[in-house]
Amino acid sequence: MSTVRLAALFVFAMLVQWWWSTHLAYWGAAPQLLFALTVLIAARRGPIAAMLIGWMWGLYSDVLRADLFGADALLYAFAGYAAGMVRRQIDLAATPPLAAAVLIMSWIYLIARGVLGKLFGPAGTSLLWTGWIPAIATPPLNALVAVFAAEMWDVRRER
Amino acid sequence: MQRETRIAHYVMGSLMALSLVLLSLPLSSPVRAFKACAAYVLDPLSYQGEQGFQKIAQAPERVRELLSADVENRRLQKEVLGTAWLKSTVESLSVENERLRHELGLKTPAALHPVWAHVMERDPLRWYSSVSVDAGEDQGVSLNDAVLGRRDDVVVAVGRVVEVRARESTVLLLTDERSAVAAYLSSGTLEGLVQGQSQNPARLLMNYINSEAKIVAGDSVYTSPTSVTFPPDVLVGSVAEVNPRDPFLAFQSVEVAPAMDAASLQEVLILRARAPAGEPAAPRASAAAPATVAVAVSSAAASAAPIRRRRRASPAASSATASELAPAAGSSNAPQEAGR
Repeated sequence: MSTVRLAALFVFAMLVQWWWSTHLAYWGAAPQLLFALTVLIAARRGPIAAMLIGWMWGLYSDVLRADLFGADALLYAFAGYAAGMVRRQIDLAATPPLAAAVLIMSWIYLIARGVLGKLFGPAGTSLLWTGWIPAIATPPLNALVAVFAAEMWDVRRER
Repeated sequence: MQRETRIAHYVMGSLMALSLVLLSLPLSSPVRAFKACAAYVLDPLSYQGEQGFQKIAQAPERVRELLSADVENRRLQKEVLGTAWLKSTVESLSVENERLRHELGLKTPAALHPVWAHVMERDPLRWYSSVSVDAGEDQGVSLNDAVLGRRDDVVVAVGRVVEVRARESTVLLLTDERSAVAAYLSSGTLEGLVQGQSQNPARLLMNYINSEAKIVAGDSVYTSPTSVTFPPDVLVGSVAEVNPRDPFLAFQSVEVAPAMDAASLQEVLILRARAPAGEPAAPRASAAAPATVAVAVSSAAASAAPIRRRRRASPAASSATASELAPAAGSSNAPQEAGR
């Protein structure tokens, strides 16, 4: 994937993420496309590209919100790093391991976000709990999005 | 491979250090400057996206509106006469109120300048925390401006502005645990503090209510005249559940179902402390602030938004509202009296 295509993917993914979460989220459930793509890029292109892109996507996610500035940047970068390291032990190019990795990392993300809220939030802030529906529905949706994006990636490469 | 791993460690270490600095020092000037730069670069995406989406989403509606424009126009022309009268009544009452307040030596609240904004960005993981809207410093929005919304033609409290950028702002919703607003119950003059709660973000907690008071579920909760951010008498929600009394506490608390629906919030009304140059001055806010808001709602949204009223012993709350003023429109004496 050339740098231009990566830049186009960077902007397009943010646009899709914004549109989906703002206008297509039902009952608090919407996939985190940027998170899933960070893991996918780590699986296909290695940890360095994934960390850098993930960090900037996380920053985009942080900058529009009133809560912790830097939390998503840290967690997205860490997701890219972890997926990049894991791909040496597990074949993340295959769809089922990729889906499983995204699923597990999404739950870790939700817990880690709560812990960061507790550590860095204003005094007296409790664990940043997202509610049961997002906590249960978001990780499987992320895995589905990652699988779909991986298929699209492969189709594009075959062409 | 070893080299890539080593570089990955260094990059991760650097990004982690940078993120921890951002997390640890959110109020320091370098971090604020960095956030402003990031917002400057990344915000246009959401802003332009929302503008484009609004245009596309409104296209069928606009075609329909065009077809029915003539009928609508005739009906509105009749309504405008009533609205103009209502506006002049509110203005004259406002002037009278200001004069009487001056005579009594009471402080006159600052004028409010309402402006409508679209919700341009929200995240399901933070549905009950904050939203971004497409009005910012250029439109005169400033920090801590009150943000209202509409639900079934009733004006409801939504939150307050916590971050302002050139064309966008971030609104901290009432349901966030960092939010609090002074409020009272419709069944009496009981006042308390309505706060967001983290354990159950879909509900608010109204605290510090007199422990002897009898409260029933279903009571409406309105913003108090003592609220610093919100105008008085704006609907906050209704009592959903009365919590069991703690014998060791001198107060009691109730669960409040918020009137605003964070999940379906599309448009909000921001009450600006100042209007940008070129905009006509709004009537001075007073105890009749909701009437001012209702006029703004009716003119901006082209439909009247009567505010639910309640009876209250406090003279501060005996203000006129759009719904109370509307029946008086039939009386020919009323405008003359109000204009005296």
